[in-house]
Amino acid sequence: MVNAVKGKSLQKALEISKKICMLGSFGVGKSSLVRRFVYDLFDERYLTTIGVQISHRSLLKRMSASSRNPVNLKLILWDLAHIDTMNDVIKTYFRGSHGAVVVYDITRPESFDRTAEFLLPFREINPSSPVIFAVNKCDLLSPNHANYGLFLEKTKLFNGGSCLFTSARTGERVEEAFHQLATLILEADGR
Amino acid sequence: MTELYEKILSEKKIAYAVFSSQYFVEEHSRYFVKLMERPVTRGVTVLWDLFPELVGSEDQVEGVLQGKQRRFTLEKISKFTEQVKLRYYNLILLPFKKAGVNQILCIMNDTTFETSLEQRIQQQQHEIKLLESTLTSAIPPLSSGLVGDSPKIEIVRKFITKIADIKSTMILLEGETGTGKNLVARMIHNQSALAKSPFIEVNCASIPATLIESEIFGYERGAFTNATSSKHGLLEEADGGTFFLDEISELPVALQSKFLSFLENKTFRRLGSTLERTVSVRIIAATNHNLLQAVERGEFRQDLFFRLNVVSLRLPSLRELGTDIISIADHFIHIYAFDFKKKTLRLSEAAQQKLLSYHWPGNVRELRNVIERAVIFADGEEIEPDHIVLVEEPKIEALSPERPLLPDAATSLYEMEKEIIQRALKQAKGNQTRAARALGLTLDTLRYRIKKYRIHL
Repeated sequence: MVNAVKGKSLQKALEISKKICMLGSFGVGKSSLVRRFVYDLFDERYLTTIGVQISHRSLLKRMSASSRNPVNLKLILWDLAHIDTMNDVIKTYFRGSHGAVVVYDITRPESFDRTAEFLLPFREINPSSPVIFAVNKCDLLSPNHANYGLFLEKTKLFNGGSCLFTSARTGERVEEAFHQLATLILEADGR
Repeated sequence: MTELYEKILSEKKIAYAVFSSQYFVEEHSRYFVKLMERPVTRGVTVLWDLFPELVGSEDQVEGVLQGKQRRFTLEKISKFTEQVKLRYYNLILLPFKKAGVNQILCIMNDTTFETSLEQRIQQQQHEIKLLESTLTSAIPPLSSGLVGDSPKIEIVRKFITKIADIKSTMILLEGETGTGKNLVARMIHNQSALAKSPFIEVNCASIPATLIESEIFGYERGAFTNATSSKHGLLEEADGGTFFLDEISELPVALQSKFLSFLENKTFRRLGSTLERTVSVRIIAATNHNLLQAVERGEFRQDLFFRLNVVSLRLPSLRELGTDIISIADHFIHIYAFDFKKKTLRLSEAAQQKLLSYHWPGNVRELRNVIERAVIFADGEEIEPDHIVLVEEPKIEALSPERPLLPDAATSLYEMEKEIIQRALKQAKGNQTRAARALGLTLDTLRYRIKKYRIHL
């Protein structure tokens, strides 16, 4: 039976829900990453997100390396539209987020340019929530391309979690990105 | 809620549900179930299951339940429906009391229609921005347009840097077809103080001799039949910037003196005008012929040659660049892999050897085309020799006539020329570069004549 008691993390009998915000400029592939992760699908067509698109997927995770029983971790993915200017509605979206995936387009270095405009407010509202960086569309550039180093260097500026080179089209490192963030969220929860 | 109210609300796309202090559904409208697309059972279904988007907002929801917060709103939420269509809605939670017990009134406003319209507008705007952004990222800036680090490329780079800011100097760029004369001209322009001014290019071989004067110098109304209004020429278009004359050797001899006069005096007259006009332009000329030989043959004015040849640069052919061929090939691989959305590609050792051992008569232009094709057909991560299709130059038979060279009475010169071009094209299997070479024409001249004689390829 579902335990409907409210809680910081909505803990049911071994089920925990966590909110994750997908952040980034337009056309970097936020929705595609979510679609690949949740439905294992990819669509070549570009569809602009308006407001926020909600989807979720559950993962079996251990609370910590030492814990025995896995928990059913339900990730509620908030796929946010491109943020032109920070406003109260967007801050409402950010509120209570347990983590964030900041997404870039490896073929467009300028997709990094406005990171501070949305990431700093996000961190102000959610100071202890972990963040990882997903540099997407890596299927389009060869591994020796200068943009890889460029994004590695730039993301270091924000002192976040890992910087992973993903491809929603091929699925490359998409699972790893969300699993890594889930682990960081559980670790942050345990502190 | 009466039937009437429910009907009015659903007509306005508004659904509602009331949740108990334990967050169970207490009551709801029929439209609420329709929007939820799942069974909703009183006393069983929980707020958090219906709206996972409220995860993270537990404190606010609690505040609404306790009446401490007047409302909690989430706008422009979207989810996929069972038919995999997006449904947009606003969610509003309000404090509600029934028989003195705190509850939550949840109002859902289905905004799919309005938000879909907004989505379409945003979609178009973002697609344009994305396209612009992708183009900017894909096309390397002109300043980095020269690839390679061989001594010969370094000479070209240094030349561009030195000459860019000396506006008054005329520049003559020489080199085989496809060596990048146009690129160098644009780099000189872009690296100079004129970068934001016009860069006007004229290919002397591609404009019919009868039109080139009016194209360059412009004309006044009535200057010739059909000149119904005045028109300024390309020189005036280039005022303040750079005027690039490609294939200068094809400039008709009759026009060369007028052009020389312009170079000497900086003034010119439009066709049919007595008014002297002045423009300030930097002149860059280019040719793939030996102009000195053209002077000796009487095809090019010596005085114009000396006037143009103040600063000249001979661009190296691709075969002179050694291993830079590989760097340039890599550069094109990057561009085409990006264009064709191909994964990582690199040249195998054997493919590199194939490129290095070829003589590249069409220079960088030919290399670019070869690489474009290779990127299209490469399957794995490496471009193999099989993907590199080089034009083995079969010797085009001398155009020894199957018919007498001299026309018979019924054959005009027009027809003779047309037939010779057709035969050259046929022998070159439709390859215009090879046909042009066999005929001793530039590619642009051949193209112009193909068009002129309406030759179907």
